[in-house]
Amino acid sequence: MNTTGRFFACALTLIMMGTMMNFNAYSETEVKTSQIPSPDSPLIAFRIFVHSGSIYDPPGKEGLNTLTANVLGSGGTEELTYQEVITTLYPMAAGIGVQADKEVTVFTGNVHRDHLKKFYKIFSDLLLHPRFDPDDFERNRDQLLNYLEKTLRGTDDEDLGKEALNILLYQNHPYGHPNEGTVQGLKSITLDDVKRFYKKMYTKDRITIGLAGGYPAEFIERVRQDFETLPKGKVKPMGLPDPEPIDGIEVLLVEKPGRASAISIGCPIDVTRADDDFYALMVANSYLGEHRMSVGVLYNTLREARGLNYGDYSYIENFIQGMGRFARPNIPRRQQFFSIWIRPVAQENALFSLKAAVKELQNLVEKGLSEEDFELSRQFVLNYSKQWTQTLSRRLGYQMDSEFYDTQRLINEIGSDFEKKLPLEYQVKNFIENIDEKLRTLTVDDVNAAIKRYLQFENLKVAMTCEDAVKVKNALVTNAITPITYQDPGSTPPEISEQDKIYEGYPLNVTRVNIIQATEIFEK
Amino acid sequence: MTKGFALVAFVLIGLVMGSNGAHSKVFPYKVNEVILDNGLKVVSVPYDSPGLIAYYTVVRAGSRNEVEPGRSGFAHFFEHMMFRGTEKYPSDKYDEILQSYGIDDNAFTTDDYTCYHLVGTKDALETIIDLESDRFKNLKYSEEAFRKEAGAVLGEYNMNSSNPFLIMFEKLHDNAYTTHTYKHTTMGFLQDIENMPNLYNYSLQFHDRYYRPDNSIIVVVGDFDQDTLIRLVKKYYGDWERSDYKVDIPVEPPQTEEKTAHITWDNPTMPILLIGYHGPAFSDRQIDMPALDLMSQLAFSESSPLYRKLVVEEAVVEFIYGGCTDHRDPPLFTIVTRIKDEQDMERVREEIFAAIEETIKSPVSEERLAEIKSHMKYNFAMGLDTPGRIAGTLAHYLQMTADYETVNRVYMLYDQVTPQDVMDVAQQYFGVENRTIVTLTYGGEK
Repeated sequence: MNTTGRFFACALTLIMMGTMMNFNAYSETEVKTSQIPSPDSPLIAFRIFVHSGSIYDPPGKEGLNTLTANVLGSGGTEELTYQEVITTLYPMAAGIGVQADKEVTVFTGNVHRDHLKKFYKIFSDLLLHPRFDPDDFERNRDQLLNYLEKTLRGTDDEDLGKEALNILLYQNHPYGHPNEGTVQGLKSITLDDVKRFYKKMYTKDRITIGLAGGYPAEFIERVRQDFETLPKGKVKPMGLPDPEPIDGIEVLLVEKPGRASAISIGCPIDVTRADDDFYALMVANSYLGEHRMSVGVLYNTLREARGLNYGDYSYIENFIQGMGRFARPNIPRRQQFFSIWIRPVAQENALFSLKAAVKELQNLVEKGLSEEDFELSRQFVLNYSKQWTQTLSRRLGYQMDSEFYDTQRLINEIGSDFEKKLPLEYQVKNFIENIDEKLRTLTVDDVNAAIKRYLQFENLKVAMTCEDAVKVKNALVTNAITPITYQDPGSTPPEISEQDKIYEGYPLNVTRVNIIQATEIFEK
Repeated sequence: MTKGFALVAFVLIGLVMGSNGAHSKVFPYKVNEVILDNGLKVVSVPYDSPGLIAYYTVVRAGSRNEVEPGRSGFAHFFEHMMFRGTEKYPSDKYDEILQSYGIDDNAFTTDDYTCYHLVGTKDALETIIDLESDRFKNLKYSEEAFRKEAGAVLGEYNMNSSNPFLIMFEKLHDNAYTTHTYKHTTMGFLQDIENMPNLYNYSLQFHDRYYRPDNSIIVVVGDFDQDTLIRLVKKYYGDWERSDYKVDIPVEPPQTEEKTAHITWDNPTMPILLIGYHGPAFSDRQIDMPALDLMSQLAFSESSPLYRKLVVEEAVVEFIYGGCTDHRDPPLFTIVTRIKDEQDMERVREEIFAAIEETIKSPVSEERLAEIKSHMKYNFAMGLDTPGRIAGTLAHYLQMTADYETVNRVYMLYDQVTPQDVMDVAQQYFGVENRTIVTLTYGGEK
């Protein structure tokens, strides 16, 4: 049973009971809840949604939000040390996770109903009565530093490329550093900083309790009351400036040794799930590059026809892969970006691949979708989206994201005092249901109009890892012809070779190329 | 409908069990089994997932079957080729049909098997059966398409090549095995991957040998009608011809002395230590493997004294992990840890050896053993929450023995493991001469 939209139907009763408010917007009222009761399920999923993200990291202390969340979620309680927490949870095989993004931090818990009481005591104590043990602080900070200094810089080119694109897209913007922080930022953070940040941001107005599964009916009220003991907040929500405009093709080359080059291309777009056009763009994006699917133009151009790499995809919002190949819930943002992800290609084919991808984006922008392409992509998204909420925890996550974006929509349409103006029967727009509703009436003209409004190919930022950055830079600024090198040239059909000529000489209006050593990126 | 991904990661999925009494079955759902005249086995589980089904095809051939020299990585490569279409459904048509139904479609290859899996709406059942049966029976691709796909496989290797674990596991297996095909990873040796475009004819032979009904199992979970399912399976797969091909996998002789290897990494990384011991093959009758799984939890899980010391208290390693994956032939029990400071490498290694020694010398308490069994039971129960996960769990056990009851038998064995069993297997498998060690450190400026 999805209760998302029921709250205003019985809002009067609920307000009188002092229980639920189902919006994630900042308000000075009490803790909010979001539920999906499923009495027959033996499993219970928690999602504690905190309106705190890396945008609240103070300058010079980048990483404070994530480190605070990790010290809580991978730390001790007032009663138990971290090791005791682990040991107590172990026989239950219960899981606690922390996920910190730009605007929202989420604590997830999954437990079998046999252990609900014992698990909840620990889970809630971690958030309400944290230990703030210096050892937990040091261990978690070390892990974040190692992630930046070793994993991203040295052993994970795909995520390095994506993170490099993020900082490039959002220079001089609160989104402009990794969620994990910077090396210098993390090093400057003290345990007292963490305690202060917790006190400032973990306030009841910023919390939504998400609960799904086979918990007793009265349980939610107990949880709500426990979190009501948090103090009232004093921090107003942060406004976001517009991202800096992009002038031509701006490139960041991250130099490091390696067999292959990872490439991420993108630009901010002024559209989110809160907007009707988002749903039209979903269809266009699915056509261009549905994540980890072989149906997209990019995939078929680069991998299928040319065997260049493992896969090539595009996105109209921040995307992190979660269960299977589906997007991870609970990373909502008020501002989004369009991106193309070219998985690592052999160094000598990097610029060919970049040009081919931009050329295909140009084709999409200029030609749009045919009626047939539109129908196929629309049908795909309609059916595929039904699979995104297979587990209770994912359903809950999507429901909470729907509330986030619905709030944004209402603020845009009605104003920040929207709660007072809504009718009693108001129902939150559920994202998955919205997809169904909007795609059923969508036309190819709607999609092509949305493409024209939001997508373009001339002003893009590009982050790529490469072994010889000076050589790549020279090829970019001189607009050199960059032919493809096939593993097996003999097997290329003439029509592909002909198309290759267009890609290899495709002119990019490169206006800026910066080079950074991988060993120096994310330093501060 | 991405064309495949290799399971080159060291995901240990064998650590599941139940302790809910010797007579109850840990797998909680009703299982149907039908075997067609051509030997094709169809295992199905009705599950409350309104409108949704998972459709898995298990081919009992993986990189283990790559017995000829120069053919490593071929099972995985062949998995890619299975998406290259037939006369009836060329790949673009195949993709288009799946796209119209919004089906989530992929495949993976392991050391022992290859699995093709789809999750979609129940109204797509006949379409799925039609498409899947067609490509298993009538796969047809040009040499040109074959050569192009080899590029994508090399691309996959390139994609993984920035990850030191791939390179370390390659080295570990190459050193630990002399004869058996577990000597190479599922991805295969780089020189073999580079030579793949030239092996078109071998690919046809590979399909002919292994992609046969007597070597395959279909697993269906979710919202379907059993009679309809069987009627459709008979209709579409009934004329698939059996092969009766038997592969001769070389037997690995016992290792007689400790082996070591070192890798220098060009990019920044923390030092990594990998230790492998030859362990027992999967069995649902012998106690060795279940006892070793419990031992791995005892010695290396987050509840172990070693974890507490190295990860939490002293914080000298980022993580530590140890265990043995289920394999048809004897695999490596592998311990892996990432160490913060190279100077601690030697000490960490000695701590690991000491933790193993402790399991040999001191019996685990009944209380601790019960905790471990409880952990495994709930871990298993909590993992069965989607049609895909249930089908994947069954596929894992079915590829071992082709018997769905194996999952229950293994769990009963876990229940029977005693403290003495744990000591016995630790004593048997953790000898110095049975050990291979691979280390990796950053070669640049520290």
